[in-house]
Amino acid sequence: MRNFLIAAAILSTACFETGTALAADAHTANVRQVIEGYIRPATSTFARQASTLPPTIEALCTTATAQTKADFVNGYREVVTAFGGISFLRFGPTIEDHRLDSLAFMPDARGITQRQIRRTFAKKDPSITDPSQLSDKSVALQGLTALQLIAFSKGGEVVLGDAGENRDYICGYASAIAQNVARIAAEIATDWQDENGYSARLLNPGPDNGQIRTSKEAIETIFNALVTGLIIVKDQELLPTLGTEIKKAKAHRLPFSRSGDGRAYLIAELQGIEAALRAAHFEPDLDEEFSWIPGSIHFEFANGIANLEAIDAPIRQSLKDGDTYQKLGLLVITINSLRDTIALELAGALGLSGGFNALDGD
Amino acid sequence: MLWTATNRTPFSRRAFLAGLGGLAALAGTSLSQSALAEGLLDRTQLDVPLFVSPRREADGSFALSIMDDAGQDLARVPLPGRGHGMAISPDKSRLMAFARRPGTFALLIDPYQRKEPQVLSSIPGRHFYGHGCFSADGRLVYAVENDYEAVRGVIGVYDVSGREIQRIGELQTGGIGPHDLLLTDDGKSLVVANGGIQTHPGKPREKLNIDTMTPSVVYLDLNNGDLLASHALEKDLHQLSLRHMAMDSMGQVWVGGQFEGDLSLTPPLVARMTRDESPRLTEIPGPIASGLESYIGSVVANASGDIVATSAPRGGKVMFWSAATGELLGTQDVIDGCGLAPIDESAFLISDGRGGLSYLEEPSSYPEVLARPAGVAWDNHMFAL
Repeated sequence: MRNFLIAAAILSTACFETGTALAADAHTANVRQVIEGYIRPATSTFARQASTLPPTIEALCTTATAQTKADFVNGYREVVTAFGGISFLRFGPTIEDHRLDSLAFMPDARGITQRQIRRTFAKKDPSITDPSQLSDKSVALQGLTALQLIAFSKGGEVVLGDAGENRDYICGYASAIAQNVARIAAEIATDWQDENGYSARLLNPGPDNGQIRTSKEAIETIFNALVTGLIIVKDQELLPTLGTEIKKAKAHRLPFSRSGDGRAYLIAELQGIEAALRAAHFEPDLDEEFSWIPGSIHFEFANGIANLEAIDAPIRQSLKDGDTYQKLGLLVITINSLRDTIALELAGALGLSGGFNALDGD
Repeated sequence: MLWTATNRTPFSRRAFLAGLGGLAALAGTSLSQSALAEGLLDRTQLDVPLFVSPRREADGSFALSIMDDAGQDLARVPLPGRGHGMAISPDKSRLMAFARRPGTFALLIDPYQRKEPQVLSSIPGRHFYGHGCFSADGRLVYAVENDYEAVRGVIGVYDVSGREIQRIGELQTGGIGPHDLLLTDDGKSLVVANGGIQTHPGKPREKLNIDTMTPSVVYLDLNNGDLLASHALEKDLHQLSLRHMAMDSMGQVWVGGQFEGDLSLTPPLVARMTRDESPRLTEIPGPIASGLESYIGSVVANASGDIVATSAPRGGKVMFWSAATGELLGTQDVIDGCGLAPIDESAFLISDGRGGLSYLEEPSSYPEVLARPAGVAWDNHMFAL
């Protein structure tokens, strides 16, 4: 009996060691697939789109015509759409040095950006027209959300480049923002491409690797960012837009709705989150009983995106129509369900954990 | 990490300057540049309500963040480990931040003065439990501590009025695992929630007496340490660890529990009491209760004291209670929401583990996300400063 117990102890130790050896890189393939299959291409696309913004603004500010305005509207939309594909990657190079906040200051429930722009304009502070000085200013003044406020009217018309006493000053500021955004976007892409940079930390977890000690922690960093991305779409973007009832709906609370890109941004976020999840390719890691989960997730993403695509007018103009309001309301329900399927079912099936307070409270 | 002092190393001037370097970096990129450059240390510059909370940073390090009522960071103080609760002085000019159990550090911070934070280490054989409070005159701090070899809860009494913090005595809490504590309105007694769970720093997060635990809420006389009252729940609820508390405008103490028994059960989790009145349990409707995993995180009253909020981070819900009737007024969904602080006359600020800071005007409204610093996880408790 005694021998048996010792043998069992040795056996269980052996199993434990094998188990940890396996666990050490169990998720590294998923991590690599997300980095190579999603994060690097998406951050490169954003950098490429952002690099077109300075010349587009220069053309508009040289001569504001129907054509240069249309080019700016399209260019801005493409940047915002590409941004929607990376804004949920809230870890590593995307968030270093306040990059994400500098690219777009969101949420801004208290209208901080508007207030700071007004104050800066009142002083005619020249430093905001210099990209190198702008990058030392408040993050709210630096990015796409500030550009939207100065380039578009409340009604969604392009006003940048229009005649007026502050025209050149505002154009200078817009140009500085565009260069700042292009610079940050390029830095993010470069840093994600860097084989020895943050990617290496995600791909080579270990005891000396900061908070990423295991491949489980590496994939959790990514996985939890996707879940947070969904929570942001719902809690931070849709709920304030919808208010508690249609009479209290506030279309301006939807990100990028002033430029008419609210819907495009939402779609880009959802498509990006889904694409990152697909890139992880969790399917082979799931036991038979959980094999239904990915299909269910992609079905719900498709529903949510189709629902948004069916909104046929800018949300700023159409929100108080029952139809648009109802579609966004439906999207809230879809996202709740998606979050549950991903954060509870899929995470559970993969043995991943999330929730800082829930996980280990006190 | 800017500040790498170990638990028992006094805070060095160099480390503090490094900390200020962190603050200065913050000034360059944050919103309130002028407020920080001049205002952080000068109270007259700050005309907005401030909040303070420990958090985990994107790089995995721990810090305290002081923010304005729009959720924007004004100042950041690196911590050597995970923080938990805080004592805020009555005039709100000072704070003491405690390590999460079984941590042994506490930091006394004077955010309005150019003064080094003072590091306090628990005495040998003790660790902090994560909460503390100031005396009414602001001269003393009471800190809950574990006398782990003797298996008894203790309140360490610290004189913080001088140049150096002095431990001048201690009180027994009459129980095991004291967690949250409150000063009564008259400033003469302390209310302490004895969570009832025996732990030992040798096995940091292990619970050693779940079968026999007997949590209580006690009232202690600050003059002599006498036990003025001790409240326990019915025997069948002895595994409901009573942990976090708030006092409403009627002087009732609200306590939230964490159930250590069978998680398929849905026991009551929130009770209210006074010194002379036994605990009265509140009712959580079945469909809500079943999703909470029988776990309450923070308990906080709004500024007017007529509504008490209790967060349930494992259920992703915050519940709101009428102080007058004990009724559940409503619930809100906040994924991993735990920290709560009163803001304005009747509203709440809610922090969550995904970096969100939300403003809730009233229980029937919805939490408006004010800010979400990227990569940050707000820790269990937040305080108005």
